[in-house]
Amino acid sequence: MNTKILSIVILTCLLIMSCDKELDINEPGNLVPKTVVEDPNLPSISINETLLHVETYGNPDNSIVVFLHGGPGADYQNGLHVKQLADNGYFVLFYDQRGTGLSQRHDKESYSIQLYLDDLSSVIEHYRTSPNQKIFLFGHSWGAMLAAAYINSYPDSIDGAIFAEAGGFNKQLLDEYGEASRKLNLFSEATNDVMYFDQFLTGKQNEHEILDYKLSLASSFSYTNGNDEGIEGPSPFWRNGAVVLQAFMDIAENEGFDFTTNLNQFQTNVLFIYGENNKSYGLGFAQKEAAFFPNSEIVQIDDTGHEMIYFKWNAVHPIVLNYLNSLN
Amino acid sequence: MKPTKIIIVAIALIGSLHLYSQTLNWNSLDSTKHIVNVGIGWDYSLYYSLGYAYKVDTNTPFILHANFSIPSGETLLDDFKTKIGVQVILLNKPNLKGALSLNGIYRRYENPLVRLQNFGSEFKGSFGYYKPRWFVAGEVGFDKAIVTHFKHSQSYREIIYQDVKDGWYEPTTGGHFLYGIQSGYSFKKSDITLNIGFVTTQDFKTTPLIPYYLMFGYNYKI
Repeated sequence: MNTKILSIVILTCLLIMSCDKELDINEPGNLVPKTVVEDPNLPSISINETLLHVETYGNPDNSIVVFLHGGPGADYQNGLHVKQLADNGYFVLFYDQRGTGLSQRHDKESYSIQLYLDDLSSVIEHYRTSPNQKIFLFGHSWGAMLAAAYINSYPDSIDGAIFAEAGGFNKQLLDEYGEASRKLNLFSEATNDVMYFDQFLTGKQNEHEILDYKLSLASSFSYTNGNDEGIEGPSPFWRNGAVVLQAFMDIAENEGFDFTTNLNQFQTNVLFIYGENNKSYGLGFAQKEAAFFPNSEIVQIDDTGHEMIYFKWNAVHPIVLNYLNSLN
Repeated sequence: MKPTKIIIVAIALIGSLHLYSQTLNWNSLDSTKHIVNVGIGWDYSLYYSLGYAYKVDTNTPFILHANFSIPSGETLLDDFKTKIGVQVILLNKPNLKGALSLNGIYRRYENPLVRLQNFGSEFKGSFGYYKPRWFVAGEVGFDKAIVTHFKHSQSYREIIYQDVKDGWYEPTTGGHFLYGIQSGYSFKKSDITLNIGFVTTQDFKTTPLIPYYLMFGYNYKI
C-alpha cells in the first residue's frame, strides 16, 4: 500500500513537472537582461569596435564628468545619483564598460587594460563638443583604478579626478586591499552562499549568460551582515560581466600592473573620498594612494562604507561639487 | 521534461526520500551487511554527511547506498544534497579491485536571491590495491547537474532583474569532473577513510571556485 501511495506521489510530481515548458539557460533575457546587442531599444554608442550602453545628462557643451563604475564587471546603475551634477552645470556621462552591464560581450582573450583606456578615449571623443571642454573623471572602486590608469597614460588630457575608494593603483596595493576586504569564514552562511551553487551551474569560458548570472548570485556576499567594507545592503545593478572580471584578474595575477609611474606629472589637485565604515580602506589607504599625486585632498564620508555613492550621495554630492567647481 | 530526464528525476526523488557513494575497503566486508557512514569534507563548501549502505551478496557483490549532506552555515537545510545509488565490483582479484558507482542526486540551494533545486547524476570509478586493514585507490568521477528549477526572490527582481524567468532550465546547467585518490585504514568493525583530489569543469578550461575536494569519513560495519 505504501509503495502504491509513493508511486502515485512520484508520478503526480513528474506529471506536474513535465507540464512546465523548459527554459534555455543560454537564452538572453531569461536569467539576465539583454545587452545592447540583443535589445536595440537600449541607449548605446558604437565605438572602438564595440557597442556600449550609455546615458548622458545635462548640456552637452558643459564640462564633462565621466563616471567610471566599479568591478571590473559591475555596471553604472548604482552610480546614477551622480547625474544630479547635471543640475549643477555639468554634462554627466555614464557608460557600462566593455563586456559588462548592458554593453556588448567579447571573448576573454580580447580584453586588456589598454583596450579599456582606448574605450575611454573613444567615449570622450564621441561626446566632446570642443577642444576646450573640460574633462573630469569620477571613478568608484575599480573605476577609480581605471581613472588612475588613464591619467597615468594621458596626464595632459584630464582636468581633474575624483577617486572613491580605488582598490589599489598597483598590484601590491590591490593585494593589500583584497586581503583586508575579502576574508572568508568557512563556517558562515555567507561563504556557503557564494560557493555551494557551483555544483548547480557551470558555464564554459565564454558562455556569458550563465557566467554573468552566477556572478550576480554571488553579489549577496558583499553586503552580508558585518562585512568589512561597511556596505549597508544591496544596491541595484543590471548585469555583471564575469568574463571581463576573470580576464582582468588573470592579467593582474600573470602580468601585474602599476598605474602610478607617471601620476607625479599630474599637477592638478585630485580628490579622494572614502567611507568611514570601510575597515579595509580608511584614511591610511587613502593616504597611500593620494601620495602618488603632487596635489590631493582626502575627505571622509561619515556613516557609510564602500558603496557611499549609492547610500550616502547627499553627503558625497556637496564635496564632489565643491571640488569640481574649484577646477571648472 | 523528456523521458530520460524523467527517469533520472524519479531515481533522484526516490533517493531523496531515504537516504553517497561511500568509500569502502572491499577486503574487509566479508560478513558485513549494513554500513553506517559519517563524514566531513570540502568540495563546493565545507560539508557534513551521513550515509547508509547495504551490501547485497550475489556472485558479483554490490552495495546499495544513500547519503545526505549539508554544508556549513547558520541556516539549516536551506542547502543540502541527497544521493542514492549502487556500487558494483567489476574487477575482483584478491588484492586488486575495480568498482563503479552510479548515483541519482537531488540537491537544493538557497540564498537571498534565488532558490535552486536540481536533479542530477554522479558516475564514479575506482581502481586500487586492497588489504584487509588498509587500501589505496585512484578515483575518477563526473557530476552532472541535469535539470534545475529556479525560483527568484523579490530582492533579485528589485535590485537586479525584474523580468527574470522562473522555472525548469536546460540544457544541463552544470557538470564537473573529479579525479583523485582514496585511502583508508580498517580496524575491528570500523574504517577511517580519506578522499582527496581535484575538480574541473566539463570544458576543462575553467575551474570551480574551489578546484579540489577533501573528505574524511568513518564507516561502522554491522
